[in-house]
Amino acid sequence: MSDVDPANVNGAHGLVLALADDELCIGQNLAWWIAVGPFLEEDLALTSISQDELGHARALYGLLGDDIDALAYGRQAHEYRCAHLTELPCRDWGQTLVRHFLYDTAETVRWEALAHSSWKALGAVARRALAEERSHLRHASGLLSRLLRTEAGRSRLLPLFDQFAPMACELFDVPTGCSDDALVAAGVMARALSDQLAEWQGTVDDALTDAGYRLQWPAVDRSGSAPLGRSGRRSPHFAALHAEMIEVLSIDPSATW
Amino acid sequence: MKTYEVFLKRPGKDSFTHVGALEAPDDDLALSFARDCYARRSEGEQMWVVARTDLLVADPTELEMADREHRHNDGALLRDLRRAPDSPAS
Repeated sequence: MSDVDPANVNGAHGLVLALADDELCIGQNLAWWIAVGPFLEEDLALTSISQDELGHARALYGLLGDDIDALAYGRQAHEYRCAHLTELPCRDWGQTLVRHFLYDTAETVRWEALAHSSWKALGAVARRALAEERSHLRHASGLLSRLLRTEAGRSRLLPLFDQFAPMACELFDVPTGCSDDALVAAGVMARALSDQLAEWQGTVDDALTDAGYRLQWPAVDRSGSAPLGRSGRRSPHFAALHAEMIEVLSIDPSATW
Repeated sequence: MKTYEVFLKRPGKDSFTHVGALEAPDDDLALSFARDCYARRSEGEQMWVVARTDLLVADPTELEMADREHRHNDGALLRDLRRAPDSPAS
Protein backbone atom coordinates (compact mmCIF):
# COMPACT_ATOMS: atom_id res chain seq x y z
CA MET A 1 0.00 0.00 0.00
CA SER A 2 1.18 3.47 -0.65
CA ASP A 3 2.36 6.32 1.50
CA VAL A 4 0.37 9.31 0.37
CA ASP A 5 -2.57 7.20 -0.68
CA PRO A 6 -5.22 9.89 -0.35
CA ALA A 7 -7.18 7.20 1.45
CA ASN A 8 -9.66 6.87 -1.29
CA VAL A 9 -10.67 10.49 -0.86
CA ASN A 10 -12.64 11.47 -3.92
CA GLY A 11 -12.68 7.92 -5.19
CA ALA A 12 -9.01 7.61 -6.14
CA HIS A 13 -9.28 3.88 -5.52
CA GLY A 14 -12.24 3.66 -7.89
CA LEU A 15 -10.21 5.38 -10.59
CA VAL A 16 -7.25 3.04 -10.16
CA LEU A 17 -9.53 0.01 -10.13
CA ALA A 18 -11.11 1.09 -13.42
CA LEU A 19 -7.72 1.57 -15.05
CA ALA A 20 -6.49 -1.77 -13.72
CA ASP A 21 -9.58 -3.56 -15.05
CA ASP A 22 -9.01 -1.97 -18.49
CA GLU A 23 -5.44 -3.28 -18.51
CA LEU A 24 -6.50 -6.73 -17.38
CA CYS A 25 -9.08 -7.12 -20.15
CA ILE A 26 -6.85 -5.66 -22.87
CA GLY A 27 -3.96 -7.86 -21.79
CA GLN A 28 -6.13 -10.96 -21.76
CA ASN A 29 -7.62 -10.18 -25.17
CA LEU A 30 -4.23 -9.44 -26.76
CA ALA A 31 -2.85 -12.70 -25.40
CA TRP A 32 -5.36 -14.51 -27.61
CA TRP A 33 -3.05 -13.77 -30.56
CA ILE A 34 -0.30 -16.03 -29.33
CA ALA A 35 0.56 -18.46 -32.14
CA VAL A 36 -2.16 -17.12 -34.46
CA GLY A 37 -0.84 -13.64 -35.35
CA PRO A 38 -0.81 -12.72 -39.04
CA PHE A 39 2.98 -13.13 -39.14
CA LEU A 40 5.53 -14.30 -36.63
CA GLU A 41 6.92 -10.89 -35.70
CA GLU A 42 3.44 -9.46 -35.13
CA ASP A 43 2.46 -12.49 -33.11
CA LEU A 44 5.39 -11.86 -30.75
CA ALA A 45 4.81 -8.12 -30.68
CA LEU A 46 1.13 -8.36 -29.71
CA THR A 47 1.75 -10.91 -27.00
CA SER A 48 4.73 -8.97 -25.68
CA ILE A 49 2.48 -5.91 -25.43
CA SER A 50 -0.13 -8.12 -23.77
CA GLN A 51 2.37 -8.97 -21.05
CA ASP A 52 3.15 -5.28 -20.60
CA GLU A 53 -0.55 -4.48 -20.15
CA LEU A 54 -1.01 -7.30 -17.67
CA GLY A 55 2.03 -5.94 -15.86
CA HIS A 56 0.31 -2.55 -15.63
CA ALA A 57 -2.78 -4.27 -14.25
CA ARG A 58 -0.72 -6.02 -11.60
CA ALA A 59 1.02 -2.80 -10.60
CA LEU A 60 -2.31 -0.94 -10.31
CA TYR A 61 -4.08 -3.71 -8.36
CA GLY A 62 -1.01 -3.76 -6.12
CA LEU A 63 -1.82 -0.17 -5.11
CA LEU A 64 -5.21 -1.32 -3.83
CA GLY A 65 -4.34 -4.44 -1.89
CA ASP A 66 -1.92 -7.28 -1.37
CA ASP A 67 -4.07 -10.07 -2.80
CA ILE A 68 -3.76 -9.17 -6.47
CA ASP A 69 -5.34 -12.39 -7.73
CA ALA A 70 -8.42 -11.79 -5.61
CA LEU A 71 -8.76 -8.30 -7.07
CA ALA A 72 -8.09 -9.40 -10.63
CA TYR A 73 -10.12 -12.58 -10.72
CA GLY A 74 -12.27 -12.85 -7.64
CA ARG A 75 -14.91 -10.17 -8.07
CA GLN A 76 -18.45 -10.41 -9.32
CA ALA A 77 -19.03 -9.12 -12.85
CA HIS A 78 -20.80 -5.96 -11.66
CA GLU A 79 -17.80 -5.08 -9.48
CA TYR A 80 -15.50 -4.65 -12.49
CA ARG A 81 -15.10 -1.13 -13.91
CA CYS A 82 -13.49 -1.76 -17.32
CA ALA A 83 -14.59 0.17 -20.40
CA HIS A 84 -16.55 -1.97 -22.85
CA LEU A 85 -13.98 -1.39 -25.58
CA THR A 86 -11.48 -3.48 -23.60
CA GLU A 87 -13.91 -6.40 -23.36
CA LEU A 88 -14.32 -6.77 -27.14
CA PRO A 89 -12.75 -10.01 -28.38
CA CYS A 90 -11.42 -8.40 -31.62
CA ARG A 91 -10.63 -11.71 -33.29
CA ASP A 92 -10.04 -9.89 -36.59
CA TRP A 93 -6.53 -8.47 -36.70
CA GLY A 94 -7.73 -5.16 -38.15
CA GLN A 95 -10.04 -4.76 -35.15
CA THR A 96 -7.17 -5.55 -32.81
CA LEU A 97 -4.93 -2.98 -34.50
CA VAL A 98 -7.51 -0.17 -34.39
CA ARG A 99 -8.37 -0.87 -30.76
CA HIS A 100 -4.66 -1.14 -29.90
CA PHE A 101 -4.07 2.31 -31.41
CA LEU A 102 -7.10 3.89 -29.70
CA TYR A 103 -6.32 2.27 -26.36
CA ASP A 104 -2.59 3.00 -26.27
CA THR A 105 -3.05 6.63 -27.33
CA ALA A 106 -5.65 6.95 -24.55
CA GLU A 107 -3.36 5.24 -22.06
CA THR A 108 -0.56 7.64 -22.89
CA VAL A 109 -2.81 10.62 -22.15
CA ARG A 110 -3.95 9.24 -18.83
CA TRP A 111 -0.51 8.05 -17.67
CA GLU A 112 0.77 11.55 -18.39
CA ALA A 113 -2.00 12.95 -16.23
CA LEU A 114 -0.96 10.61 -13.40
CA ALA A 115 2.84 10.83 -13.76
CA HIS A 116 3.15 13.42 -10.99
CA SER A 117 0.24 12.30 -8.87
CA SER A 118 0.02 13.30 -5.22
CA TRP A 119 -0.45 9.56 -4.69
CA LYS A 120 3.29 8.91 -5.05
CA ALA A 121 3.07 5.18 -5.71
CA LEU A 122 0.54 5.78 -8.47
CA GLY A 123 2.85 8.38 -10.03
CA ALA A 124 5.68 5.84 -10.04
CA VAL A 125 3.53 3.24 -11.82
CA ALA A 126 2.49 5.86 -14.38
CA ARG A 127 6.03 7.00 -15.15
CA ARG A 128 7.23 3.45 -15.65
CA ALA A 129 4.26 2.62 -17.88
CA LEU A 130 4.87 5.72 -20.01
CA ALA A 131 8.27 4.37 -21.02
CA GLU A 132 6.58 1.23 -22.32
CA GLU A 133 3.84 3.17 -24.09
CA ARG A 134 6.40 4.69 -26.43
CA SER A 135 7.17 1.30 -27.93
CA HIS A 136 3.51 0.27 -27.95
CA LEU A 137 2.65 3.43 -29.86
CA ARG A 138 5.49 2.98 -32.30
CA HIS A 139 4.12 -0.46 -33.06
CA ALA A 140 0.50 0.68 -33.44
CA SER A 141 1.20 3.92 -35.31
CA GLY A 142 3.81 2.34 -37.56
CA LEU A 143 1.46 -0.36 -38.80
CA LEU A 144 -1.52 1.94 -38.98
CA SER A 145 0.06 4.79 -40.94
CA ARG A 146 1.51 2.30 -43.38
CA LEU A 147 -1.75 0.43 -43.89
CA LEU A 148 -3.78 3.64 -44.26
CA ARG A 149 -1.67 4.42 -47.32
CA THR A 150 -3.19 1.43 -49.11
CA GLU A 151 -6.74 1.14 -50.43
CA ALA A 152 -7.18 -2.29 -48.86
CA GLY A 153 -6.07 -0.95 -45.49
CA ARG A 154 -8.33 2.10 -45.67
CA SER A 155 -11.40 0.12 -46.63
CA ARG A 156 -10.88 -2.27 -43.74
CA LEU A 157 -9.60 0.04 -41.02
CA LEU A 158 -11.46 3.33 -41.40
CA PRO A 159 -14.92 1.81 -40.77
CA LEU A 160 -13.46 0.28 -37.63
CA PHE A 161 -12.46 3.74 -36.43
CA ASP A 162 -16.05 4.87 -36.95
CA GLN A 163 -17.18 1.91 -34.88
CA PHE A 164 -14.58 1.86 -32.08
CA ALA A 165 -13.57 5.50 -31.56
CA PRO A 166 -16.96 6.54 -30.09
CA MET A 167 -16.83 3.50 -27.82
CA ALA A 168 -13.30 4.37 -26.74
CA CYS A 169 -14.49 7.70 -25.33
CA GLU A 170 -15.76 5.64 -22.43
CA LEU A 171 -12.14 5.18 -21.33
CA PHE A 172 -12.43 8.73 -19.97
CA ASP A 173 -15.76 8.31 -18.19
CA VAL A 174 -15.68 9.15 -14.51
CA PRO A 175 -16.05 5.90 -12.54
CA THR A 176 -19.05 5.73 -10.24
CA GLY A 177 -18.09 7.08 -6.85
CA CYS A 178 -15.32 9.30 -8.19
CA SER A 179 -15.34 13.04 -8.70
CA ASP A 180 -13.39 14.38 -11.66
CA ASP A 181 -12.91 17.84 -10.15
CA ALA A 182 -12.05 16.55 -6.69
CA LEU A 183 -9.41 14.14 -8.02
CA VAL A 184 -7.74 17.06 -9.77
CA ALA A 185 -8.06 19.30 -6.72
CA ALA A 186 -6.41 16.60 -4.58
CA GLY A 187 -3.59 16.31 -7.11
CA VAL A 188 -4.31 12.66 -7.86
CA MET A 189 -4.65 13.59 -11.54
CA ALA A 190 -3.05 16.61 -13.16
CA ARG A 191 -5.98 17.03 -15.52
CA ALA A 192 -9.66 16.18 -15.43
CA LEU A 193 -10.85 13.15 -17.39
CA SER A 194 -12.96 15.47 -19.54
CA ASP A 195 -9.81 17.39 -20.53
CA GLN A 196 -7.95 14.14 -21.12
CA LEU A 197 -10.76 13.02 -23.44
CA ALA A 198 -10.43 16.19 -25.52
CA GLU A 199 -6.66 15.80 -25.75
CA TRP A 200 -6.95 12.16 -26.79
CA GLN A 201 -9.57 12.98 -29.44
CA GLY A 202 -7.13 15.53 -30.85
CA THR A 203 -4.42 12.86 -31.08
CA VAL A 204 -6.74 10.48 -32.91
CA ASP A 205 -7.97 13.26 -35.21
CA ASP A 206 -4.38 14.19 -36.09
CA ALA A 207 -3.51 10.61 -36.97
CA LEU A 208 -6.55 10.29 -39.22
CA THR A 209 -6.11 13.74 -40.77
CA ASP A 210 -2.74 12.51 -42.00
CA ALA A 211 -4.70 9.76 -43.73
CA GLY A 212 -7.21 12.25 -45.14
CA TYR A 213 -10.07 11.11 -42.95
CA ARG A 214 -12.34 12.90 -40.50
CA LEU A 215 -14.07 11.12 -37.64
CA GLN A 216 -17.50 12.13 -36.39
CA TRP A 217 -17.36 12.15 -32.60
CA PRO A 218 -20.67 11.59 -30.83
CA ALA A 219 -21.97 14.60 -28.93
CA VAL A 220 -22.33 12.97 -25.54
CA ASP A 221 -21.98 14.77 -22.25
CA ARG A 222 -19.61 12.49 -20.36
CA SER A 223 -19.24 14.64 -17.29
CA GLY A 224 -22.03 12.95 -15.38
CA SER A 225 -22.17 9.50 -13.85
CA ALA A 226 -20.80 6.77 -16.06
CA PRO A 227 -23.58 4.92 -17.85
CA LEU A 228 -21.59 1.88 -18.99
CA GLY A 229 -18.51 -0.05 -17.96
CA ARG A 230 -17.32 2.46 -15.38
CA SER A 231 -20.55 2.04 -13.43
CA GLY A 232 -20.33 -1.75 -13.33
CA ARG A 233 -22.45 -2.61 -16.35
CA ARG A 234 -20.74 -5.35 -18.30
CA SER A 235 -20.92 -5.90 -22.05
CA PRO A 236 -22.08 -9.28 -23.39
CA HIS A 237 -18.42 -10.21 -24.02
CA PHE A 238 -17.30 -9.98 -20.43
CA ALA A 239 -18.61 -13.31 -19.16
CA ALA A 240 -16.62 -15.41 -21.64
CA LEU A 241 -13.50 -13.28 -21.15
CA HIS A 242 -13.68 -13.60 -17.37
CA ALA A 243 -14.39 -17.34 -17.54
CA GLU A 244 -11.23 -17.78 -19.59
CA MET A 245 -9.18 -15.74 -17.13
CA ILE A 246 -10.27 -17.78 -14.14
CA GLU A 247 -10.23 -21.16 -15.86
CA VAL A 248 -7.29 -22.48 -13.85
CA LEU A 249 -8.50 -21.00 -10.57
CA SER A 250 -11.90 -22.60 -11.14
CA ILE A 251 -10.27 -26.02 -11.41
CA ASP A 252 -7.89 -25.52 -8.50
CA PRO A 253 -8.54 -22.53 -6.23
CA SER A 254 -5.22 -23.12 -4.45
CA ALA A 255 -3.19 -22.98 -7.68
CA THR A 256 -0.16 -20.70 -7.61
CA TRP A 257 2.18 -19.61 -10.38
CA MET B 1 8.31 -7.07 -46.40
CA LYS B 2 12.05 -6.68 -46.03
CA THR B 3 14.40 -8.94 -44.13
CA TYR B 4 16.49 -7.43 -41.35
CA GLU B 5 19.33 -8.87 -39.28
CA VAL B 6 19.43 -8.12 -35.56
CA PHE B 7 22.52 -7.68 -33.37
CA LEU B 8 22.59 -7.20 -29.62
CA LYS B 9 25.28 -6.05 -27.25
CA ARG B 10 25.20 -7.03 -23.63
CA PRO B 11 26.62 -4.75 -20.95
CA GLY B 12 30.38 -4.95 -20.44
CA LYS B 13 33.11 -5.88 -22.87
CA ASP B 14 31.10 -8.22 -25.10
CA SER B 15 30.88 -7.11 -28.70
CA PHE B 16 27.69 -7.03 -30.76
CA THR B 17 26.46 -10.53 -31.55
CA HIS B 18 24.08 -11.61 -34.27
CA VAL B 19 20.92 -12.93 -32.65
CA GLY B 20 18.60 -13.56 -35.60
CA ALA B 21 16.56 -12.08 -38.38
CA LEU B 22 13.05 -10.76 -38.88
CA GLU B 23 10.73 -9.45 -41.56
CA ALA B 24 9.17 -5.99 -41.40
CA PRO B 25 7.56 -3.59 -43.85
CA ASP B 26 9.89 -0.68 -43.03
CA ASP B 27 12.83 0.42 -40.87
CA ASP B 28 10.77 1.84 -38.03
CA LEU B 29 8.66 -1.29 -37.67
CA ALA B 30 11.81 -3.37 -37.93
CA LEU B 31 13.12 -1.64 -34.81
CA SER B 32 9.78 -2.16 -33.12
CA PHE B 33 9.61 -5.86 -33.96
CA ALA B 34 13.27 -6.37 -33.08
CA ARG B 35 12.59 -5.14 -29.58
CA ASP B 36 9.63 -7.49 -29.16
CA CYS B 37 11.25 -10.51 -30.83
CA TYR B 38 14.78 -10.36 -29.48
CA ALA B 39 15.15 -7.88 -26.63
CA ARG B 40 12.00 -8.09 -24.52
CA ARG B 41 13.84 -9.86 -21.70
CA SER B 42 16.75 -7.41 -21.44
CA GLU B 43 18.95 -9.60 -23.63
CA GLY B 44 20.98 -6.56 -24.58
CA GLU B 45 21.53 -2.92 -23.76
CA GLN B 46 22.26 -1.89 -27.34
CA MET B 47 20.76 -3.15 -30.57
CA TRP B 48 21.64 -2.86 -34.25
CA VAL B 49 19.08 -3.67 -36.89
CA VAL B 50 20.40 -3.88 -40.44
CA ALA B 51 18.49 -4.44 -43.67
CA ARG B 52 19.90 -7.61 -45.18
CA THR B 53 20.27 -5.83 -48.54
CA ASP B 54 22.69 -3.39 -46.85
CA LEU B 55 25.06 -6.16 -45.81
CA LEU B 56 28.21 -6.77 -47.84
CA VAL B 57 28.20 -10.48 -48.57
CA ALA B 58 31.45 -12.26 -49.36
CA ASP B 59 31.82 -14.81 -52.09
CA PRO B 60 31.83 -18.18 -50.27
CA THR B 61 34.52 -19.54 -52.57
CA GLU B 62 36.89 -16.97 -51.09
CA LEU B 63 36.33 -18.55 -47.70
CA GLU B 64 37.20 -22.11 -48.68
CA MET B 65 40.34 -22.72 -46.66
CA ALA B 66 39.72 -26.32 -45.56
CA ASP B 67 42.49 -27.63 -47.83
CA ARG B 68 45.12 -25.15 -46.59
CA GLU B 69 46.77 -27.29 -43.96
CA HIS B 70 49.20 -24.56 -42.96
CA ARG B 71 46.22 -22.43 -41.87
CA HIS B 72 45.13 -25.06 -39.38
CA ASN B 73 48.05 -25.38 -37.00
CA ASP B 74 46.82 -27.24 -33.93
CA GLY B 75 50.30 -27.55 -32.42
CA ALA B 76 50.59 -31.26 -33.17
CA LEU B 77 53.73 -30.93 -35.29
CA LEU B 78 55.57 -28.95 -32.60
CA ARG B 79 54.31 -31.32 -29.90
CA ASP B 80 55.62 -34.36 -31.77
CA LEU B 81 58.97 -32.66 -32.34
CA ARG B 82 59.31 -31.89 -28.65
CA ARG B 83 58.48 -35.46 -27.71
CA ALA B 84 61.04 -36.96 -30.07
CA PRO B 85 63.90 -38.48 -27.95
CA ASP B 86 66.57 -36.53 -29.79
CA SER B 87 64.75 -33.21 -29.72
CA PRO B 88 66.72 -30.32 -28.23
CA ALA B 89 63.47 -29.22 -26.60
CA SER B 90 62.80 -32.49 -24.81
